[in-house]
Amino acid sequence: MTPTLTALGGGFRAEIQQIRRSRLLIVLTIAEAVTFLVLVSIFGLTGNHVPTAVVDRDGGKLSHQWAQEMAATYHTYGIRYMDARSAQEALSEGDVAAILWIPRGFSQHMAQHTMIRIHFVVDNVNADLTNEVELGISPAARAFGVANRFPGIRVVTAEKDVVRHEVGFIPYLVVSALALTTFVVAGTLAASAVAREFETRTLAYLKLSPTHPLVPLAGRLLATGAVSAVAVAVATLLVVVSYGVTPLHPAELAAGLLLCVVIFSCIGAGLGTLVRRTLPLSALIFGLALAFYLDSGSLEPARFYGNGLWVVAHTSPVYYAVGILQEAVHGIQVTPETIGINFAALIGWAVLAAGAAWLGLRRAVTA
Amino acid sequence: MITRAAWALRHTWTLAAHDVGQWRRAPWAIAAALIPPAALALLLYILTFNLGHQPIALVQEGHGRYSNHIAGIFQAQAGDIYSLITTDRASATRLLDSQQVAAVVVIPRNFDAAVARCPALQPDQIIHDYTYARSGCPAARIQVTLDNANANFAGEIRRALSETVAFFDAPDIVTPVSESQLDMSDLNPYRVNVMTALTRANTVDYIHYAVIPCLVLLILSVGVTGTALLCARDIERGTARHLALAPVSPVVLIAGRLLGGVLVSLVVIVPTLAITTLTGLIAPPAGHWPALALVFLATAVCAAGLGAVVGATMRGSRAVSMAAAVICTYLFFLGGGFTTVQFLPTWLRQVTTFVPIRYAIDGLRQSLFYPGLYGFGADMRVLLGTAIVAVVVGGVVVRRAWSR
Repeated sequence: MTPTLTALGGGFRAEIQQIRRSRLLIVLTIAEAVTFLVLVSIFGLTGNHVPTAVVDRDGGKLSHQWAQEMAATYHTYGIRYMDARSAQEALSEGDVAAILWIPRGFSQHMAQHTMIRIHFVVDNVNADLTNEVELGISPAARAFGVANRFPGIRVVTAEKDVVRHEVGFIPYLVVSALALTTFVVAGTLAASAVAREFETRTLAYLKLSPTHPLVPLAGRLLATGAVSAVAVAVATLLVVVSYGVTPLHPAELAAGLLLCVVIFSCIGAGLGTLVRRTLPLSALIFGLALAFYLDSGSLEPARFYGNGLWVVAHTSPVYYAVGILQEAVHGIQVTPETIGINFAALIGWAVLAAGAAWLGLRRAVTA
Repeated sequence: MITRAAWALRHTWTLAAHDVGQWRRAPWAIAAALIPPAALALLLYILTFNLGHQPIALVQEGHGRYSNHIAGIFQAQAGDIYSLITTDRASATRLLDSQQVAAVVVIPRNFDAAVARCPALQPDQIIHDYTYARSGCPAARIQVTLDNANANFAGEIRRALSETVAFFDAPDIVTPVSESQLDMSDLNPYRVNVMTALTRANTVDYIHYAVIPCLVLLILSVGVTGTALLCARDIERGTARHLALAPVSPVVLIAGRLLGGVLVSLVVIVPTLAITTLTGLIAPPAGHWPALALVFLATAVCAAGLGAVVGATMRGSRAVSMAAAVICTYLFFLGGGFTTVQFLPTWLRQVTTFVPIRYAIDGLRQSLFYPGLYGFGADMRVLLGTAIVAVVVGGVVVRRAWSR
């Protein structure tokens, strides 16, 4: 028992020393992880609040109300009041994506309930933006008509929400991104620790150790796991402080993230054994993280993507992790599976990944 | 003079060809450069296909004229702004509980009666004072149960449903300017007709708009990673000292290294362009090929200069490849590669004006998607200016690193 523990501790200390000597790599690994948080935030900013100039030539109470309804309609428009010349300049320079011209006499027409034409100029940069800005107009007109109880409006909607406290898009995205951050940090550090043994050909020396040669390697992986846990804790703190996201169930969040560290360290060890080169590992893990990001419910519940992608999502641990993290932080269920099933699946993944990494490494060591 | 210039060019070319050969013999370095753009292109491609069409269950309990009419509107708009499953109330509830749909819309049994109680607007109905606000009759209610897990897609569903419901009373709230001869429809109870005009001759579909800029990321990633690794390897192996002692002008050596970086990018981008053109993925307007070539060449030169700075200032191939990946990702995202810059808030758009890759992406989109080259000259001025700065700074940093 003692030689095993000594070998384990030795591996742990050796890896910590290695990490301390390569601070730049740690900084870059964390930068790569934070990149995810930043990128999903940028992504979250798109599709909402399209900068739209309103040239109000009427200046009345009702024209102002119309613009306010536009601003309030499902986060579609970011309204900016401008004069005609500034609006045209802003449109040509790409500062606004559309101009709404409210004509003189608008308020009078609305008060008298007579038809009026409004001109709306859209910079059709691409189909997505054009659809977004055009789709917002009818709801804005409807909201205005319903608010003023215009006659002739024969249908309205009565909405009942499943979730009591609706979560903002960016708070939703950054919580999902924590799972991917964990994947990038834990995966890269563990994969590098293993691949380095192959690259520097030190694996042969491990065979001479008085214990099983995998024990010192396990010690190294424990060290990368510990460092990853600290890095993920920092990222979580960053999310809490910068984005004002307070977890409803902190213990559940910590347990979910720790499980992720274990799983992704094991996956990283497996990747390191497969690739055996440190150079392409970070790119490979970054690429894999993007694939996980796609199909893990990071943007919205994965089931809404359709059954095909949802079934594929089950092959990724990030899917279960996102389910746990969203429940722990926001208290919302984003997978049809319960939180217990998600935890069981993650534990299963941890056992599977550890077993696969162990087998892969044993094969490599005995080869 | 001419002989000396020819010698210099020959040396430059020799070093550049040697660098390309070294790059070709490093499959892992190639993988490190290719994986991020390939993964991102795939991500964007699948995201554009699968997002934005929220699944909705429609339960039609009323079967009169009005119920059938609004159900028909839902069916007609399905596919464009949501996907629709028509079912009964119990199944719809099960679908909502198992997250197979994001919302359940019920047209109730009393829908027809409720609509009939509330008369449509008459063509000559004009109200002369604002007291009508209290005279509106209670409208028929479409019941919506919404899984509002996050505000973004919940907002999209609400907006889509609002659009559909508005269409019931007024199909012509929004009309293109080209249809200005049409009747403004006195039956529209919202009393506005919004005439939309588009500023560009054609509207690019989002898949092309989002995925094609990955070519810029590809050239950037290969150029930065390739040049950086070549520079880092020279320093790691000590061959940088040999280069510094070579009886060749440092300018020639540095030009050779940077040319090698540019050639490495071109070795990857030329076949990629050939494949995308042959498969019809890109089809620039006639006469835009030189503009396209200029965008790629200027980006490759920028990438080589930036790669030289990264490779000469950082130690170790791994650190260099990681730094290159992070830098390229930020430049691409902040340059509008993953987003539509017009959507971003003002402060972030101001940040993007300092990102040279934005001009490469804008130039690429302009030369590929639009008939004219409006703004292309300005984009190229910034990009070429950045390329010159990158080459000068990269050259100085590499020369210093060789002398250490």
